Amino acid sequence: MDLYKVTITANETIMPGTHVLDLDSPALGKSSRPGQFVHIRTGPTWDPLLRRPMSIFRIRPDGVSLLVRAVGVGSQIIAESAVGTELDVLGPLGRPFTIDPTARRLAMVGGGYGVAPLVALATEALGKGCEVVLLVGAATADYVFPADELPPEVEYAFSTVDGTLGHRGLVTELLPRYLDWCDAVYACGPTPMLEAVARLTRPARYGVAGAMRSEKPVQVAMEQHMSCAMGVCLGCVVKTKKGYQRVCRDGPVFEADVMVWEGSHA
Amino acid sequence: MPENGTHASSGSLPRLRPTPSLRVNLAPNNMHGLELANPVLVASGTFGYGTEYQPLVDVQRLGAICSKGITVRPRDGNPTPRIAETPAGMLNAIGLQNVGLRAVVSEKAPMWSRWAVPVIANISGESIGEFEHLAGTLDGVPGIAGLEVNISCPNIRDGGRLFADTAESAAAVTRACRDVSSLPLMVKLSPNVGNIVEIAQAVEAAGADSLSVANTLLGMLIDTKARKPYLANRTGGLSGPAVRPVIVRMVYQITSVVSIPVVGVGGVTCTDDALQYLMAGASAVQVGTANFVNPRAALEIIDGLSAYLHQQGMTSVSELIGIARPPAVLPAVPTVV
Repeated sequence: MDLYKVTITANETIMPGTHVLDLDSPALGKSSRPGQFVHIRTGPTWDPLLRRPMSIFRIRPDGVSLLVRAVGVGSQIIAESAVGTELDVLGPLGRPFTIDPTARRLAMVGGGYGVAPLVALATEALGKGCEVVLLVGAATADYVFPADELPPEVEYAFSTVDGTLGHRGLVTELLPRYLDWCDAVYACGPTPMLEAVARLTRPARYGVAGAMRSEKPVQVAMEQHMSCAMGVCLGCVVKTKKGYQRVCRDGPVFEADVMVWEGSHA
Repeated sequence: MPENGTHASSGSLPRLRPTPSLRVNLAPNNMHGLELANPVLVASGTFGYGTEYQPLVDVQRLGAICSKGITVRPRDGNPTPRIAETPAGMLNAIGLQNVGLRAVVSEKAPMWSRWAVPVIANISGESIGEFEHLAGTLDGVPGIAGLEVNISCPNIRDGGRLFADTAESAAAVTRACRDVSSLPLMVKLSPNVGNIVEIAQAVEAAGADSLSVANTLLGMLIDTKARKPYLANRTGGLSGPAVRPVIVRMVYQITSVVSIPVVGVGGVTCTDDALQYLMAGASAVQVGTANFVNPRAALEIIDGLSAYLHQQGMTSVSELIGIARPPAVLPAVPTVV
């Protein structure tokens, strides 16, 4: 982990307001792991003030790629940066996903641009000889993650809330059919979606009538607004059974079983 | 760098010039003193316990580190959201999440005692008795160079009114800490008061060795989509460049009437910001929110001040202090070595 000045070598719009930025940085390419993130300054001035955390989407020998959606002023500045722009990048940061050496079949659930770290994870898992199912949810057809951004070996299914493409409804409704098949579950997206994944994968614990026992390991990558991303400011905490933990340093990847979901989001 | 040495490259300079001194003493009247190698500290709550930024920053070069706020017992802190970005600033309502006094004494202080950089323990109490307990326990603990007394906490016994709110209660906390500790006492004032000058004078009279001016400005952000305050705590403390002009003004006013050193805290991001505070009358500055954005900001300011003094032909940072004020209203020369 270090501070780097890195150059954007490509910027492609793959969905409305959603860009893939290729960053030229062999140091980041070498040290980054799926689930980790980088923390980016929006410019040399102090407004917008804070850096923005961005998931690592692809890991290459010569750098990393980020999936950046313009959801506010800061992320818009980063998303729309021209090729050749130099970014002030801190990273890689945070605890990455882990793949148990005995796991062969991985189910991944992404909500919106929460798909970003799962693409890096899927690529690593395929390299280890795992089979990967990736389920992604979007609001509408326009925001369905393009299949050609994925390695072809990934089995890919998606849902839209309005039913304009794929399954109509929430992405978590696609998960049960893979729960017997898979050895482990990974999820990244809005907190209510992660909570739904946790409940679906631990039905007995959450009191679902007639539920079967399932103890497959579930890892979730939490999203939270951050300021320092170095474990200092204590702004990005989430509630866990061990008390408040920092998403930036103790996460963003947590075992779903340690999370305290009730009231963990406003 | 030698205290009065010359630059290695001095051969190429037109004439030899002594390296400007950045040294300051933030407790000249205290038996221990609080001698710092330079006037750039890092603010409480923005630098953890000093270890977190070590992979990125040579923390030993800092003037001093103000620790995360310490309470008698460990605290979990507030529910989330705890932070929000605002124009050129941010609101925070962390709620003093910290490891507690016992862990500081047994785990953090022994580590700090091996460091070159002085560590100032920031203490927060909910009663005069808690402040006494904190200050008394930390007195004489190796690794604690001084105490920063955070009087911006609610006095539980006084219906939740803040100690910082009145000259009487601010002075009472200061006196209580003074009575039980020989350590240099830096009292951190709140900007959320009617007359901060009056409070500064009362705290000085009660035995403070220096003042840090100031804590965050109380603010609020409404989430218009949810139609309610965005922070779970509803209110939060505003920090960052947005507050700088307010605090520079307070430093200017306070240093006109007190004779103990004042440390400017609020929106310091670069050398020029630090110069504003020094010229207004501060003896030192604390870098706070800027650490989150540029972890090397404090080190860059140290180098920048040194370069500025050299360029101006000044021999000591003390020559800068209060230089922006009309000579007629300058108090006795602030004590800086």
